[in-house]
Amino acid sequence: MAVRKVGVVGAGTMGRGIAEMLAFKGLDVLLVEKTESNLELGLATIAQSLDKQIDKWALTQAEKKLVLNRIHPTHTLDELAECELIIETITEELEAKLAVMRELDRAAGAETIIASNTSTLSLTELASVTEHPQRVIGLHFIHPVSHIDLVEIVRGLKTSESTFDATKHFVEKIIHKKGIMVFESPGFVTTRLICLHINEALKVLEEGVASEEDIDSAMRMGYSFKYGPFEMCDRFGLDAVQAALENMFHEYGELKYRPSIVLKKMVRAGQLGVKTGAGFFNYDKDGDRI
Amino acid sequence: MKILVINAGSSSLKYQLYDMTAETVLASGSVERIGMETSIVTQAVPGRPDMREVSEILDHVTAVKRLLDMIAHPEYGVIESIAEVQAVGHRVVHGGEVFKQSVLVDETVKLEIRQLFDLAPLHNPAHMMGITAVETNLPGVPQAVVFDTAFHQTMPEVAYLYPIPKVLYRRHKIRRYGFHGTSHHYVSDQAAELLGRPLDELKMISCHIGNGASCTAIQHGVSVDTSMGLTPLEGLMMGTRSGDLDPAIVPFTMNKEDLTLSDVNSMLNKHSGLVAISGLSSDMREIEEAMAEGDRNARLAFDMYVYRLRKYIGAYTAVMDGVDALVFTAGIGENSSSLRAEVCKNLSYLGVKLDDAKNGMRTKKPREISAPDSRVRVLVIPTNEELLIARDTYKLVTEQASSLSGQREEGTDA
Repeated sequence: MAVRKVGVVGAGTMGRGIAEMLAFKGLDVLLVEKTESNLELGLATIAQSLDKQIDKWALTQAEKKLVLNRIHPTHTLDELAECELIIETITEELEAKLAVMRELDRAAGAETIIASNTSTLSLTELASVTEHPQRVIGLHFIHPVSHIDLVEIVRGLKTSESTFDATKHFVEKIIHKKGIMVFESPGFVTTRLICLHINEALKVLEEGVASEEDIDSAMRMGYSFKYGPFEMCDRFGLDAVQAALENMFHEYGELKYRPSIVLKKMVRAGQLGVKTGAGFFNYDKDGDRI
Repeated sequence: MKILVINAGSSSLKYQLYDMTAETVLASGSVERIGMETSIVTQAVPGRPDMREVSEILDHVTAVKRLLDMIAHPEYGVIESIAEVQAVGHRVVHGGEVFKQSVLVDETVKLEIRQLFDLAPLHNPAHMMGITAVETNLPGVPQAVVFDTAFHQTMPEVAYLYPIPKVLYRRHKIRRYGFHGTSHHYVSDQAAELLGRPLDELKMISCHIGNGASCTAIQHGVSVDTSMGLTPLEGLMMGTRSGDLDPAIVPFTMNKEDLTLSDVNSMLNKHSGLVAISGLSSDMREIEEAMAEGDRNARLAFDMYVYRLRKYIGAYTAVMDGVDALVFTAGIGENSSSLRAEVCKNLSYLGVKLDDAKNGMRTKKPREISAPDSRVRVLVIPTNEELLIARDTYKLVTEQASSLSGQREEGTDA
């Protein structure tokens, strides 16, 4: 299957990142958001991210223009009918995702693959509300999408072999990322391991064993992580980490997944990490540590 | 014989149709935006208005089909039927160490071009698509490939090896290859002709100065050294490329600015050279205009560009123990008289003396621009890589035809 046009539903952190990466790879992207203001914010943030890459000499002004020209903002899912692939990236809430899946199934062409970027929800459950569950699959990208060359391709119970093969071809041959195949399981491989890592770091912090700064240095320098667990959590968004942990706690029922009290408290205080300027550490508007 | 010359890129394809009887261009054109719904085919035929057509062209096979339709079009075309195209010549950027000259395409050649994808990931795969597309559209028509690197395969080991662990050469073929070979080759032939002296007694330095720029020492008709290396980034300062620099700058900058490998690659290839120093443009014409208006950064960019080129001319004079002719070619080399004048200014020790009036003349013809008493002859030779590709293709195809008919005759004898 030749993929030329991809629909991206949702212009949040992941949706923006995915749209920008796809457009950079030369694909046409239809980016859907409910409101005009969200759409504008999404596009502005993509432009800002491209500017940041120009500052790093990774991109030229001409290339930025080309990338932006390939992203077409739209309000309705109906316009996605002409896409060969649609990636849903809305908030990680089951009811909202189910509603979008139902609508996508109705709007998409018969050959279209419908992918969800969910990290913890059940693909089989998302697919169950559609008429054609065999064409539903998971494509779990990792933030920052442009820089992380790994995608988890998640098979739901009814995902067909041809849907999987076409998706794998798309991941490896068209956007040139490594696709690993995972069978449906809450958190798959990446979210499950990394959220536990963060949660355990929070416990180490609560117990007063070491400071945030030192725990981060230990893991960064000791084990070659790019970021330590706390900065990582700030970059993912504390709310997103909490939501992922809660989903896994609910699914597995094991205490190790129960979100740390400190995490919950910070989320309640609205201290969500890079996007609010403060989490475990402080950040400027470009997302750099202060 | 009519020969089609093709330069296939990943999303574009340029072509020229030659009639080899008098080496005339019957038609030239391009297909742009391959892979999109609004691809553009343009064609120019001498003495007729240009053609332009927008349609959906999703792959190279369709692109080649469209260009064949165009040249054989009952109204706009230049030939009666596509059967008149008797051979196709392709430009291929990287020929590695395998290809020391142009060759006819067969299965082995295709395999070898594929094996070179690693060394030219942006170019060779696209050329390959062009070759397969022609095969599909013109089955049985012989195709030749002409390599940018082939002319420099005569470089001696001392010139092509890098002083780094030799295992890298053995494992990954990391060595200097050089590019623009077809152009350096073409202008050196032309230069000898213009000078009326045999190529094999001349020491020449050819400066291909265009968007990309490289300089070659040509001793007795063969390339003995050239300024580009493993990739077209080495050597002269260019529009957006840095050319030579201290390799330690790469890890140092990556560390200081927190850059990834692809960032630093893009920095040196797209954000350096004239555009970096002038802060204005990568286009030499714009640099010269700004300089005329007193822009200091443009002046600095120009001076650095000239300085680095002149250093190579000095070096290559030493390499060959002398120089008989200095040749300028390609966009800037052919058109910027002030650049040529500046480059030659400090070469008086070598005996270079320009004739200012001749240097200032604007013409598309090959010409000499040095003064009668200049010890080194300075020439401007417009390059024509397509013609050389057509000539090589013609030669290979006629040789093959005569050897085949020779075999047939032998066959009848037996």
